[in-house]
Amino acid sequence: MEKKQIKEPIRKKWIWIALLLIVIGNVPWYLPIGSYEPLIFGVPYWALIILAFSLILCGFLSWVTLKEWDIVEDEEEAEKRGRVNE
Amino acid sequence: MNDLVFAGLDGVLILLAYAIVMLLIGYFSGRGDKTLHDSLSNYYLAGKNLGIVALFFTLYATQYSGNTIIGYAPTAYRTGFSWLQSISFMTIIIGVYLLFAPRMYVVSKKMNFITPADWIAHRFKSKSVTILAVVLMLWGLGNYLLEQLVAIGHAASSLTGGTIPYQVAVIAFVLVMLIYEWLGGMKAVAFTDVMQGLVLMVGIVIFLVGAVYLVGGDISSATQYIATNEPAKLGVPDMMTSINWFSMLLLVGLGAAIYPHAVQRIFAADSERTLKRSFSRMAWMPPITTGLVFVIGILGIALIPNLDTTGSEQLVGLMANEIAGINGFFYWVMIIFFGAIVAAIVSTADSVLLSFSSIVSNDIYGRFINPKAPEKKKVMVGKVTGVVAVGLLLWIAWNPPATLYEIFVLKFELLVQVFPAFVLGLYWKRMAAQPVFWGMLAGAIIAGVLTWTGYKTVFGIHGGVIGLAANFFIAVVGSYLVPLTVEKEAELKKIDLA
Repeated sequence: MEKKQIKEPIRKKWIWIALLLIVIGNVPWYLPIGSYEPLIFGVPYWALIILAFSLILCGFLSWVTLKEWDIVEDEEEAEKRGRVNE
Repeated sequence: MNDLVFAGLDGVLILLAYAIVMLLIGYFSGRGDKTLHDSLSNYYLAGKNLGIVALFFTLYATQYSGNTIIGYAPTAYRTGFSWLQSISFMTIIIGVYLLFAPRMYVVSKKMNFITPADWIAHRFKSKSVTILAVVLMLWGLGNYLLEQLVAIGHAASSLTGGTIPYQVAVIAFVLVMLIYEWLGGMKAVAFTDVMQGLVLMVGIVIFLVGAVYLVGGDISSATQYIATNEPAKLGVPDMMTSINWFSMLLLVGLGAAIYPHAVQRIFAADSERTLKRSFSRMAWMPPITTGLVFVIGILGIALIPNLDTTGSEQLVGLMANEIAGINGFFYWVMIIFFGAIVAAIVSTADSVLLSFSSIVSNDIYGRFINPKAPEKKKVMVGKVTGVVAVGLLLWIAWNPPATLYEIFVLKFELLVQVFPAFVLGLYWKRMAAQPVFWGMLAGAIIAGVLTWTGYKTVFGIHGGVIGLAANFFIAVVGSYLVPLTVEKEAELKKIDLA
C-alpha cells in the first residue's frame, strides 16, 4: 500500500507564524494607554478590537485542529468499520 | 463568601439532588465492568475508550471549575477590561495542545502510557528526571486539589446560608466525590463531567441574563458608570499590564496543556477523530465561559460598586442575592446555579484526584516500590493514597488562603517546568537526560524562590516564565554539549511517525 501523507500541525510553519501574529494583535500593547473612546454600544473601542482577535484565535485554532491534523485517523476509522463488519 | 440570604433549606435540597445524581452516575458507570479495577488503563483512563461526548465534557468540566466563576468575576471587577485576557489565555491552551497532542496521542497508544511520567521515563530513561517530574506534577496537582477543596466549602456553605457549615459541606462533597470515583474511576469522572459541564454552561448564561436584567438591559449605562467613576478600568491598560498579559498567555497556555489530568485525557480518547473534534469544540468555549464571566464582573462594577479586594471576592454571591430577588424563577435558577458551581468545582477536583492517584499507582508504587505487583494491587494503592491525600489536604484547607487567584498562579509556576522535557523531547532527539534534569530543577527553584520572596512577577513577567526560560536554555545548550550515541538514536526512531 502506498504510504499516506500525514498531517501534523508542528510541521507547518505557517500555522505558528499566524498564531504568533494573532496573539500579538490580541494584547493591546499597540494602543494609546488609558484611551477608551469611542464607546460602541457601551463597549470601549479597544475591547472590541481585542475581542475580535480573541474570536479569530478561537476560530483559527478550531479550524487548524480539524483540517491540519491527520495522522492515524484513516487507519483507526477503517479498523473500526472492520470491527463492526465482522 | 457572604451567606446568601436567598437560600437555606432550598439550597440544601438542591445540593442533595446534585450529590445523589453524581453518586448514581458513579455507581452505574462502574457497574457491570468486572475488569475496571484490575487494570490501570481501565480504571484511570476508562480503557482508553472515551467517545466524543464524554471526552469533550470531561475536558470542559475539568478545565473550567466553579472557581472560574467565583474567582474570575471578582478579578474582572477589580482590574476592569484588561481581564479580557481570560478569554485568550484559556484559548491558547488549545494552541499548545496542537504542539504535542497529535504525536503524543499516537505514541501513547503504541506504548500504552498511563501517566505523563510514562512518557518522560520512556524518553529519557533516567530515574532522576522521572522522579523530579513526578514530584513537580504531584506538587502542582496537590495544590490545585487543595484550592478546589477550599472552594467547595465556601460555595456550599454560602449557598445554604450557613445551614450547612463550611466544614460539613467540604466533607460531604468530598465523600460523594471519593465514593463515585472509587466505584467508577475515569468512567465515573467523565460521565459526571457531562452533567457538571452542562449545568455550568447553562448556569453562566442564566446568571448573565439576570445581571443584564438588573442593569436595566442596558450595558452602556454600566460602562458609562465606569467611565465616570473608574475610567482606569475602562481604558487601554499600561505597558506593564500588557507584558503581564503576554506572560499569562505563556504560563497558563503551557501549564494547563501539560497538566497531568489534561495529558491523560489525550491518552483516554478512543480515537484521533474524537480527540480532534473535542479540541476543536473546546477552542470555542472560552468566549462563552470566561468571556461571559468577564461580562458579569464588569456589570458588577456598576451594580455593587466600591468593594475592596476582600469584599470583591464575594461578588458572585452578592450579585446572586440581587438576581434571586427579581422573581420566583430567578430565585430557583440562582439556587440551581450555585449548586452548579459546587458541581463544577467537584468535577475539577475529581479529575485532579484521579490523576494524583494514577501517578502514585503507576509512577511511585508501580515504577519504584513494587514493579512486579499485579495491576489490581497498583490500582488499590493509588485509590487508598488518594483518600489519604485528600484527608491531609482537608486538614490544610481548614485555614484557607484569602484570595483564590494567588494559589492559581502558584500551581502553574512549578508544573510548567516539565514542559521542555515533555514537549521538546517529543521532537528533538538530541535532547539529553542530564541537561533536562538540571534545567527542570533550576527552573523550579527560580520560580519557587521568586514567588516565595514576593517577586511573583518581575517587570510584569511571572516567576514561572522566567524559570521556564532558564530551564529551556539549560536543557537546550546542555543537550548540544552531550554527544548523541548511535544506540540512543536508534531507540528514539520509535517516536517517529512517518
